[in-house]
Order: sequence, then structure tokens, then C-alpha cells
Amino acid sequence: MATLAAATGKRKIKLNQNCGRSLFWPALAVFGIASQFASPDLLLAQSLEGVRQYGEFPLVGSRVAIWVAAQVHLLFAAFVLGVPMFAVVAEAVGIFGGDSKYDKLAKEFTRLLLVAYSATAIWGAILSFLLVTLYPGLWLYLTEIFQVSMWIYVCLFFFESFTLYLYYYGWDLWNTGRAKWVHWTLGILLNIWGTAVMFIANSWLTYMMSPPADVTPDTAPGMVQFWSAFANATWMPINIHRIIANVVFGGAIVGAYAAYRFLVARTDEERAHYDWMGYIGNLIAMGALIILPFAGYYLGREIYEFNQQMGITMMGGFMSWLWIIQAFLIGVLFLAGNYYLWVGMGRIPGAERFMPYTKYMLVVLVLGVMVWATPNTMIADREEIAAMGGTHHPFLGVLGVMSAKNTAVNLMILTTFLSFLLYRRANSRPTVDWARTGTIVQGALFVLASLIVVFYGVYGYFVPAIVRIGFSVYQVLAVLATIIGVITIDVFMLRGAESRGDIRWGQMPPRSQYALFILAVTFTWLMGLMGFARSGIRQHWHVWEVVRDTSEYAATPALGYAAIVISCCVLIFFTLVSFIFWLGGLAEKGTKASADSVAATSSTQGVS
Amino acid sequence: MLTENLKIIGVVVGTIGLFTLVANSIPQVQSEVPQDLSFGTDVTAAELTASGGLLFGSAGGCTACHGLGTRAPNLLTSNGSEGPIGARCGDRVTGESCKEYLYRAMIEPNVFLVEGYSPIMPDMRRSLSNDQIWALVAYLEAQGGEVTVTGADINQEGEGEAQTTMAAAPVPAGPTSDATDPLEILRANACLGCHVLSGEGAPIGPGFDGIGGRVSADYIRESILKPSVAAAEGYEAFAGLMPAIYANQLTAGQLENVVMFLAELR
Ligand code: HEC
Ligand code: HEC
Repeated sequence: MATLAAATGKRKIKLNQNCGRSLFWPALAVFGIASQFASPDLLLAQSLEGVRQYGEFPLVGSRVAIWVAAQVHLLFAAFVLGVPMFAVVAEAVGIFGGDSKYDKLAKEFTRLLLVAYSATAIWGAILSFLLVTLYPGLWLYLTEIFQVSMWIYVCLFFFESFTLYLYYYGWDLWNTGRAKWVHWTLGILLNIWGTAVMFIANSWLTYMMSPPADVTPDTAPGMVQFWSAFANATWMPINIHRIIANVVFGGAIVGAYAAYRFLVARTDEERAHYDWMGYIGNLIAMGALIILPFAGYYLGREIYEFNQQMGITMMGGFMSWLWIIQAFLIGVLFLAGNYYLWVGMGRIPGAERFMPYTKYMLVVLVLGVMVWATPNTMIADREEIAAMGGTHHPFLGVLGVMSAKNTAVNLMILTTFLSFLLYRRANSRPTVDWARTGTIVQGALFVLASLIVVFYGVYGYFVPAIVRIGFSVYQVLAVLATIIGVITIDVFMLRGAESRGDIRWGQMPPRSQYALFILAVTFTWLMGLMGFARSGIRQHWHVWEVVRDTSEYAATPALGYAAIVISCCVLIFFTLVSFIFWLGGLAEKGTKASADSVAATSSTQGVS
Repeated sequence: MLTENLKIIGVVVGTIGLFTLVANSIPQVQSEVPQDLSFGTDVTAAELTASGGLLFGSAGGCTACHGLGTRAPNLLTSNGSEGPIGARCGDRVTGESCKEYLYRAMIEPNVFLVEGYSPIMPDMRRSLSNDQIWALVAYLEAQGGEVTVTGADINQEGEGEAQTTMAAAPVPAGPTSDATDPLEILRANACLGCHVLSGEGAPIGPGFDGIGGRVSADYIRESILKPSVAAAEGYEAFAGLMPAIYANQLTAGQLENVVMFLAELR
């Protein structure tokens, strides 16, 4: 495991080598390149013109080179930031719940983390080299504004690596009593460093999207106020959106890993373990996915607020088709996620009684996807723009525009939640005497929520936009309230419930596992697509309306072309990930530890 | 094990392929870069119009709003009965020629608002050069009118400054009408785009009927000049929606007329 860490000081990057040769040469290269910029005079704004603005990359060109490097780096980074979050949660469940299988799960997550970590660093290095060599002008501009935060970034990265090593290698050492608490604190710390690192990097890229209003093309980069550039308009929304997306992504990749291990497993024990792990991965991914749209709305709102034209370009301009593709992908996610749950019922005694309902749920999902992918609800009409009040309150406006889509997606969320609930309920027979009433109340809540969602969806067409706008809020609240209410009832109702038989972990038809792969691939592709959306709306600007892109690649490509690049990124990512995980598997086989890491995982409820 | 691996690869590659296919089967729109333009004093109207047309159709970003739906007036068609932009531009603001009006519409788009539209158009100086803006003006003039832009306009020094000083002059910049009748003022300033008065207008902000019974004249004045200071009860969620442009857009007399008129609506 090697870690790249650029040190503070004279703009050179040092390398911390833990055990690898792998990064030595690249590091030397960074040093070489970085030392060219060692003279501070060179960094003065006035000399920017004297610097070569763009480099050229063979075959694919500079833009694709930087695009792929950034995207693949981001995919690894997302994994590396998402996994620690639920590793720590799993460890806590192990500590508080006293069930050691969660502790083992957490450790296994962390092992994946460890191997993915160096890939993140390598791609980070590739990205920086390419930026420095292919976009030197922009690079100088950004360093001039952000240099201090770049130094802090590498320090934090350094801390993060060491915390990770301590966390992983100390796992068995600090396994009991107070030491375990210290160990868990390390996990928390790991998350703090990671999040801070991401926040810093986010400030650089959001600055490019939404520089403060007082920065103009004539502003020398050295004169830009650091804090206003750092905490720019879209910084926080992107931070939040990414945190959630990272969890989704981490869950999905972990699910795919488990699916792979399940498919190649040799023993029933192994199969049981990886079946369970896949289930948890999927649960994490789908759970976080449900809240992601809210973060998306928040981001969208800030973009509109920052600049109408940018918002309109994003939703209605040359990018409007992108959202239809996005809807298609999300449809695939919902379908694959539900399919996995439905197939999974086969391993739960008692689930047979719910199977007939799945076909109705399928109908709802398919209809929902179709509505969602209908383009004509996306273009704001005059009423809605007026309701958005010009430059203000686009949040409501965006919601208003998406009234029909909102209805569809809320129903899809409800359906998915119902799948999950049936799954959870399948093998238990409640013993509390109000069980029947409870179930009826739950059912009534579902019906009520669907009615509210549909009612406001339809009614919305008969009222002025300004009234309609408020409706989407009621829809969301109805769904959220139902989810919370139903889960609360369920938790109490299933207390001391009789089991209809243990979940037969491992007795899962292989086809279900392919659904997990589809989920992982789709999430990854979706991240690539959103990455394109985010940087594409800058159009021909490196920094929106401040630094022009004057290279031959300034035009923003069409979606078809973007899709090909995204697909390449996804392929590269999955190839590397499989290789890394395969290596991880080899290492595991080498140790005796594998025997107990594959713990018997018979569980009563199967809900984390 | 080999078959498993092959199947997995098949599923992964198949899914990626499907997405790539879908994305390639939709209309392919590329966002172009505005052409860098630089005109000498001897530039011809035809050259200007041609470059302007290119900008308008793609990289200028105009069609994001103009032409799509009804969020902005259509410039190429009649927009009701007014005629295309080249024909209607001279009648927009009294005392402003077509050319002046169009230029101003681009650099200070919110000073004069076409009735019924919201102030969402950005200052085009942020994304386009002076030469590009003039090319657009020429192109728009050509839509139903005569092109009067010349090389002299484009290379005139300090054109931008002249406009700005005008805006800063004691006379409020571009009162949208010189009406004194309060109802007229309310209409001309699109107040009724957001407030209802005797059944006229849209219910986005609080209605004007009976407003004098609810709040004082001072409060009304304050609400118009600094809409963000105090949000009306029940409309807190919409605070900030009302544009803070009226301090510039109304003359002092118009403001007082409106305030008194509203204060007397009980
Ligand atoms: C963000 C949306 C938006 C964009 C982008 C935009 N406009 Fe506008 N434009 C409007 C709105 C809304 C109006 C009507 C309100 C007003 O007068 O500002 C308008 C009005 C105009 C008018 C006056 C029309 C008339 O009937 O008097 C002209 C001329 C104009 N725009 C030209 C352009 C040009 C040229 C571009 C591209 C360089 C452009 N606009 C880009 C929204 C936009
Ligand atoms: C884009 C929509 C919009 C336009 C245009 C608009 N307003 Fe408003 N107005 C609002 C909203 C929303 C509120 C309530 C929130 C607030 O007080 O900020 C409001 C509040 C007010 C209030 C306070 C009302 C109360 O009951 O407290 C007055 C007075 C007012 N507007 C007058 C005007 C006048 C006069 C004009 C035209 C010169 C105008 N508005 C144009 C949206 C608008």
C-alpha cells in the first residue's frame, strides 16, 4: 500500500512510501514538474500570458485524458469515502448489539477500503500530472487562489492514510474493552479526515462552476478572496450531495463484491456470508438513494440562484436530454433493486404468501419509470417561471416543473419501501395482540400516502403554478411520514415475534446476484453522467464567466460522445476494481483468518 | 468458475453497452463556443448579421430562453401582434432607437422589462464581447427591420460607460412608463404579474384588495423599495421573490402615487 502525499512547502510533492515501489516513479515525476513552478514570480497573474496555456495528449486528446483521469479518480474516491461511513456504523452495531458478525463485516469493508485506497491515490496523482501538463494555464490560476488549501489537503490526506492503516491493522489488536472504543474512534477520525479532504477538493471544482460574483475576467487570481472562493455558492450543496452519493456508491460496490464472492464461493458457509453481505450492501445503497433526490434539488436550487442561465441550460437547454437518460438509469436502479428483494424472498420461510403481490408492484414501477422519462414535463412554462419569481425561489420552481415526475418517483419510493417491508416481515409472526390492528394501520398509511401523492399530482393540473408548487412538498412529506410511521409500528410489532424459520442465507439463486452487478454498474455510470452534467454546464468556460476555455476542446460534446467516454471510465474502473479485489481475495486465502471471517451468519431478522 | 466470470463480464459489459446505446439514440446536441468576433470600422451589415445569427442560434445561449416555450418573448416571430423584434424594437422605449434599445436590452436587460416577463435575462456582457453583442443587435434588427449597426458603433470608445452613467444619473433609470395613474403604473411595472387587484393579475404575492386595511402606507413604501426587509405574513416562504428593482424603476412621484393608492384600498 503506498500513499501519495504532497507535502507543504515549496510547491513540491513528497511521497510517503509505505511498502510500495509503485509510486516512486510517478512521484519523481511530480517532483520534477512541480519544481518548474518553484519560483513564486512565475505564479504572478501578469505572467500567466507568458505560460503555455494547453498541452496536447496523444490519440484521445487533452479533454478526454483529463476527463477519464478525473472521473476514475472520483469513482475510487467516492468508494473510499463512502465505505468508511458504513464500516464505522457496522462496527458500532457490533459493539452495541454484541453481534460479532457485524464487527467482522466492518473489518471486511475496511479491507476493501485499504486496497482501493492506493488506487485512489494513484489516480489522484495521474489527474494532477495531467492537469499540470495539459492545462498549465488553468492550473496556475487555480493554485494562485487555492494554494494554501492544497497544502492542507495533502496534510489531511496523509493523516487519513495513517488513520486507515491504524484502523485496519489495529483491528484484532484493539478488540476488547476500552481499546475497542479507541479503535472505533479511529474509524470516526478516518471519516472526519476523509470528509475534510473531499470538502477541500469540492471547493476547487465548485469555484470553477460558481465563482463569487465579484470575480471577473480582469480579477487577478491573487486578488480573489480565499474564503469567498472556497465557500462559493455551490460548495455546500455539492458537499452534501456527494456525501450521500458516496454512501450509495460504496454500498453498491460492496454489493457487487459480495455478489462476486457469492458466485465463486465453494462452501455453503461462504455463500451464506456473502449473500448476507450483498444484502447489506444493497440495503445501504437503496436506503441512501432515497434521500439523494433531496440533495439534488438543493443543488439545483443553488445553481438557479447563482445564475438563471446556467440553471436553464442545465434543465432545459442543450442538456435537457441528459435528465431523460438519468430517469432511465434510475428506473433501472429501482427495478434491479426491487427484483433483488423479490428474488431474495425465496430464501425466507413464509415469504411465499407475499409473492403474488410482486407483479403489481412491478406494474407500478414500470409505469413510474415511463412517466418519469417523459420529457414534456421538464420544460418550464411561463407560469412556472413567473412563479419562480425571476431570479428567486427556483427551488420551488424546479419542484413545480417536475410535478408529474414527482408523483411518479414518490410512488416508486413507496413501492420499493413496500418491497422492503414485505421482505422484512416475511419470516416472522408477530405475537403482540394488536398485530392485526397494526398491520391494518400500516396498510392504511400506505393507501393514504398513495392517495395523497396521486391526489396532489392530479389536482396540480387544475390550479395555478404557485399553488401547485406547494403540492410537491405535501407529497414528499406524506411519503416520508409513512415510511417513518410504518417502520415505527413494525419495530414494536415484531418485538418478540415468532420466527417462521431462519432466513436461509446463501440459498439464493445466482440470477439475483447479477441484479447486484447491474446495480453497481448503473450507479457507476450514473455518477459518470452526473459528473458530465456538472462540468458540462460550464460550457466553454474553465471558470464560469471568468476564465475562458480557449483550447480546441472548448465546445461541450453531445451526450452520445459523453456516453462513450463515461462507459470507458466505468470499464476502467471495474477492471481495476476486480483486479484489486481479486488480489485482496488472494491475500485472504493466504491467511488463516479467512476461516473465521466467513462466519456462519444465520440471522433472525436480517435487518441491520 | 470460468463461466461465472464470463457471465459477470457479459452482464457488466451488456449494461454499459445498453446505456451507451440509449444515450446515442437521442438527439445529439453539442454546445458550441461563441465565435470570437472582431470587426473593423468598415464591416458590412451582411457580415454582422451573419455572425449574429450564428451566435443567436447556438453559442450565444439566447435560445435557452427565447424560442423555447414562453419563458421569454419570441424574437423571431410576432410575439402576439407586435411583429418580430426588428419591427417592434423602435417602439419599446420612447426616445430610444431600435439599435439603442436592443443594445440596452442586452447589457441592462432588467431596466426595461417586456410586459409580463420576469427579470431573468442575464447581463450579456458577462459572457459576450462588445463585438459579439453588436453582431447580435444587427441580427435582431434584421428580423423585420433594417440593420443600422455600423463599424462606428462597435468601435466607439466608452459606449458601455455612457450607458452606465445614464443609469446612475439622478433621473431613475428607465422608468417603464411615465404614467401618473397608479393603476397604469401597477400594470406597466408588472406588479399585477404577481399581485391580484380586483380580479386582475396573478396570485403569487399577497393580493392588493384591502391592503390599506392591513398595513400602513409606510410599510407599503418599504415593501416596494426593499422587498426583502419584511416578508408579508403567510408569504414568508416567498420572501425575496419580489424583485428589488423598483427603487430604480419608479420615479418618486410614481412611487408615492402607488403607495397612496394602495394605502387607500380598504
Ligand atoms: C435566462 C433567460 C434569457 C436568456 C439566456 C436571454 N434572454 Fe433575452 N429576454 C429574456 C426575458 C425573460 C425577456 C423579457 C423581459 C425583459 O425585457 O428583460 C428578454 C428580452 C429580450 C429582448 C427584448 C425583447 C422585446 O420584445 O423587446 C431582447 C432583444 C433579448 N432578450 C435578446 C436576447 C439575446 C440576443 C440573448 C442571447 C445573447 C438573450 N436575450 C438571452 C430572457 C433571456
Ligand atoms: C415577481 C413577483 C412580484 C412582483 C413583480 C411584484 N411583487 Fe410585490 N410581492 C411579491 C411577493 C411574493 C410578496 C410577499 C413577500 C414579501 O413581502 O417579500 C410581495 C409583497 C408586496 C407588498 C407587501 C404586501 C403585504 O401585504 O405585506 C407590497 C405592498 C407589494 N408587494 C407591492 C408591489 C408593487 C407595487 C409591485 C410593482 C411595482 C410589486 N409588488 C411587484 C411578489 C411580487
